[in-house]
Amino acid sequence: MRKYWTIITTMWARALIHRFTIVAYRTGELFEIVFLLILWTALFKGRDTISGYTIQEMITYVLVGNLVSIVTRNFLTDFMTKEIKDGALSIFVVKPITYLRYVLVRELGRVSLPFLISLVSQIGIMLIFARQLVIHTSFVHFALFIVMVAFAFLIEFFISFLIGATAFWTDETDGLSQTIYRLKRFLSGGYFTLSLLPALYIQISLALPFAYSFYVPTQLYLQKLTLWQGLKGIGIQIIWIALLYLCIKLVWRRGTRRYEGVGI
Amino acid sequence: MPIIEVKNLTKKYEYYKKAPGLLASMKSLFHREKLYTEAVKNISFTVEEGELVGFLGPNGAGKTTTLKMLSGILYPTSGEAKVLGHVPWKREKKYQKQFAIVMGQKNQLWWDLPAMDSFILNKEIYEVPDAQFKKTVDGLAELLEIKDILDVQVRKLSLGQRMKCELIAALLHQPKVLFLDEPTIGLDVVSQQKMREFIKTYNEQKKTTILLTSHYMEDVKALCKRVIIIDHGEIRYDGALSALIDKYVDHKVITVTFTKPVERVDLEKFCPVMECTPLRAVLNVPNEEVKKVAAKILTTYPVDDILIDEVPVEDVIRRIFTTGKS
Repeated sequence: MRKYWTIITTMWARALIHRFTIVAYRTGELFEIVFLLILWTALFKGRDTISGYTIQEMITYVLVGNLVSIVTRNFLTDFMTKEIKDGALSIFVVKPITYLRYVLVRELGRVSLPFLISLVSQIGIMLIFARQLVIHTSFVHFALFIVMVAFAFLIEFFISFLIGATAFWTDETDGLSQTIYRLKRFLSGGYFTLSLLPALYIQISLALPFAYSFYVPTQLYLQKLTLWQGLKGIGIQIIWIALLYLCIKLVWRRGTRRYEGVGI
Repeated sequence: MPIIEVKNLTKKYEYYKKAPGLLASMKSLFHREKLYTEAVKNISFTVEEGELVGFLGPNGAGKTTTLKMLSGILYPTSGEAKVLGHVPWKREKKYQKQFAIVMGQKNQLWWDLPAMDSFILNKEIYEVPDAQFKKTVDGLAELLEIKDILDVQVRKLSLGQRMKCELIAALLHQPKVLFLDEPTIGLDVVSQQKMREFIKTYNEQKKTTILLTSHYMEDVKALCKRVIIIDHGEIRYDGALSALIDKYVDHKVITVTFTKPVERVDLEKFCPVMECTPLRAVLNVPNEEVKKVAAKILTTYPVDDILIDEVPVEDVIRRIFTTGKS
């Protein structure tokens, strides 16, 4: 266990050196959130609800949803692609540590610090909008919400790993990761709540893993889902985790057979 | 029982060609002809415990590919290998804890952090006990004279300092087998010398089996009793460095300095003349005639100085590579 803790603290040490990046990153995110809040406030002018959402619920949707997406994201694909393409992966495959586990811990380390900073600033914004924010007190809903977010992190991580692993065959993964990123933003409800869309679209989104990184947990938080619906969501997440894990096993075995460890 | 056993190991790489220019690039978007190159062809050798073997060969000879297979980075196309009783490309933890590879052109140290942070990470990954860790780091840093830079960001270090840190990172878990891929590449003469001294001492003290690749002859001459010469993926020679000269060279080099000018034609009566200026001549003399020729020159000509030398190893190896036959 100690080795994993050391990986995390090493990542923190590294992240702290690049303090400017952390701040710079966060600035962009804040703009996006503020923009969404302004947009919704404008849209709500003169009406009480949109698709069953009050303005408070919509603001909560944006703020909580963004919080979830901050917690669940990772930067693995870029790093992994580079490691495969430049041959830096060689350094890891000779060590007595499983690469998947190593990068999982590394990503936890990588995201945790920016996450803390995002969390602080996000809570700052939430305090500004405190009057508008919906705060529920159901412990079970909240517990389910936390589990769903943790699983969402794992799913996103596995997807990033799979995209990264395509570098064994294609050397570059930008195209694929951009495509999936856009798809994800749209299908996860990151731009607007899926409730605004036709039922079929929602059904497709719920069968795919992306909605569980934004829309579903936020709905759960807002208590627009019953506990049973929440549990069903977690069930779907578990199926995705198992499926993705199997894919990773297969892709990794084949990929490392092709791996040439080239470059400087 | 040999520590390293390699039998008929072969590695083929896949690649494709593309003519320069945009049009050719467009074409290659739709059609690519797959080509194969054999980086390592059917090589076999064994290494005993504690040996320090030099892998010598020009660029692209297959040295690094061989080391990559032995450390489990690459899967071979065919053939077998066992290191410490393990098949490397199975990547068993038990094996990984017993060997290390240092690649002169790849660093495992974290670029943005001081080397010490990387050491600590390695310590945990290899599960090195605290006491052993401290002792190893202190000892090695002392030996390599880098105690004062362990807390400096790696990217601020010179190449020489960085290579020394790389070496420490690789030795923390006290590997039984060490693969060094071009450990002196890009280093200045003094750093090269230091690195060599260190490797030699380490091998003698710890009895670590070391396989070293280099295209610097100096490395191999200073360090290895045994060399494996590899070219175009094939082993051209495997044996003692000293025996290499006996095997390939049937003559010695006599250099004579005269007090008065001497004609080239006169000297050519004795043996082939390689170089001749009026006051100096270099002659290639068959081994069995060295004494006779030297005596004759001394008595016949006004000799100021006479030197009898072995043919330099570099020349021998260059000849092996250029003729391409064993």
